[in-house]
Amino acid sequence: MTDPLSRDATATDIAHAVMSGKVKAAAVIDATLKRIEAAEPTINAFTDVIAFRARKRAAEIDRGLHRGPLLGVPFAVKNLFDIQGLPTRAGSRINADGPKAARDGALVRKLEAAGAILVGGLNMGEYAYDFTGENAHYGPSRNPHDTTRMTGGSSGGSGAAVAAGEVSLALGSDTNGSIRVPSSLCGLFGLKPTYGRLSRAGSFPFVDAFDHLGPLARSVADLAASFDAMQGWDPDDPVCTDRPADPTSMVLGEGISGLRIGVAGDYFARGGMPEAFEAVATVARALDAKNIVAIPQAAIARAAAYVITAIEGSQLHLPRLRARPQDFDPDTRERFMAGALLPGSWYVKAQRFRRHYRAEVQKLFREVDVILAPATPCTAPKLGQVMMTLDGVELPVRANLGLYTQPISFIGLPVVVAPLHKPGGLPIGVQIIANHYNEAAALRVARHLEKEGVASAPAA
Amino acid sequence: MADEKPDIGRLVDEAAKAIGLPIAEQYRANVIVNYERSMAIARPLLEVELDDELTSGPVFRP
Repeated sequence: MTDPLSRDATATDIAHAVMSGKVKAAAVIDATLKRIEAAEPTINAFTDVIAFRARKRAAEIDRGLHRGPLLGVPFAVKNLFDIQGLPTRAGSRINADGPKAARDGALVRKLEAAGAILVGGLNMGEYAYDFTGENAHYGPSRNPHDTTRMTGGSSGGSGAAVAAGEVSLALGSDTNGSIRVPSSLCGLFGLKPTYGRLSRAGSFPFVDAFDHLGPLARSVADLAASFDAMQGWDPDDPVCTDRPADPTSMVLGEGISGLRIGVAGDYFARGGMPEAFEAVATVARALDAKNIVAIPQAAIARAAAYVITAIEGSQLHLPRLRARPQDFDPDTRERFMAGALLPGSWYVKAQRFRRHYRAEVQKLFREVDVILAPATPCTAPKLGQVMMTLDGVELPVRANLGLYTQPISFIGLPVVVAPLHKPGGLPIGVQIIANHYNEAAALRVARHLEKEGVASAPAA
Repeated sequence: MADEKPDIGRLVDEAAKAIGLPIAEQYRANVIVNYERSMAIARPLLEVELDDELTSGPVFRP
């Protein structure tokens, strides 16, 4: 087993070591805080480190006051999660002036109830309207695999902190791809669960129709363990499902037998750099997946996701756009302002199309259990890069890193990102997409790829 | 008339007035750029025809 005090230790490595008494939780926290201190001047993943609280919690664990499957596991959360006693920044300067959270967000409470220890809040794109991980107020989070490059966003600090080995587990949010894009660019496993599966209570919203929360980690077992700990109905989130929890850790070992695996063609097989399609082909070969499936009307789905995002997000921020426009990040301000002016008829049409598209895509799941697709159209762009060329067309980086993620979150399908690392190259991820509430199928495929050495998420 | 290009600058100015959103001169050009970009991205949605019977639920359930 990996040394539980090292940067390579996974959450399950740490939990096993603490539970068996091989290491004290206090020692784990000391090692984590030292790594954070050493990495942060370069990586810039954290906006808040809560060392005192983390040490106190670790001491309680060492006195036997807490139990759980994630015992002693340090984790950090995107700073749109409420952390008691801190303002919920949501990547903004405006919220930093706001009230301090009265209690932790629901998922923070659930992870701590499972024995994990919160160590801090993480950098993110302002108000989650971002695919880059850049932020004018707090500086960009930097990709640990090449610090001149983007982490992807908007959960950029979550990707950076886990890829740098500062923590083994982080939470992010995903409205249009904000867990999946940084998982791909930082070379991590990431899980965007089914819409409504995990409570969003105690997190700052962006687009209620699409907001999801979920984990990023360096092993599939860590995704499953944290996902299992966070499931369950929550009356504080009206979207949260009242279906019974569906534990996934125990099925990871079942492998891929019995799973029908398709590869997304058409929209998902064009418009990206060769490395995006090579990654999908590598995974498809490893899984012997030859069935090409066309996700119908994906380009319209992306357009509809864009419209709903622009209008809902802008409506949310309208009071702040009126009162404090100068305090917005320049990269979000004018996009929000433009979104506030779009016609309401576009929004209603997008919502009507959403219902039609959900029904059409669900038909595909009569033939397959999971669908493979690229996670991002390219590896990590350079920090500050504004334009990129995809399929011979020059396009804005900011709007197009989520080209392949938006049509999937639009209808709330669960997705696991499996990262591929090429020697000497930058990582890139593949989306493993399952039907609603079937996170287990996507996790089983990801675990098989990890076991076979096809997908991996080493600390940089 | 259908092919006539809309005056997005004017649209932005008037719509902003209508909803009470002051847009300072230094932000205006980029708001117009973003509005035009939104129009381009939304085009596939705006062009698709939907059945009258297709409604959206008030609460989305996957």
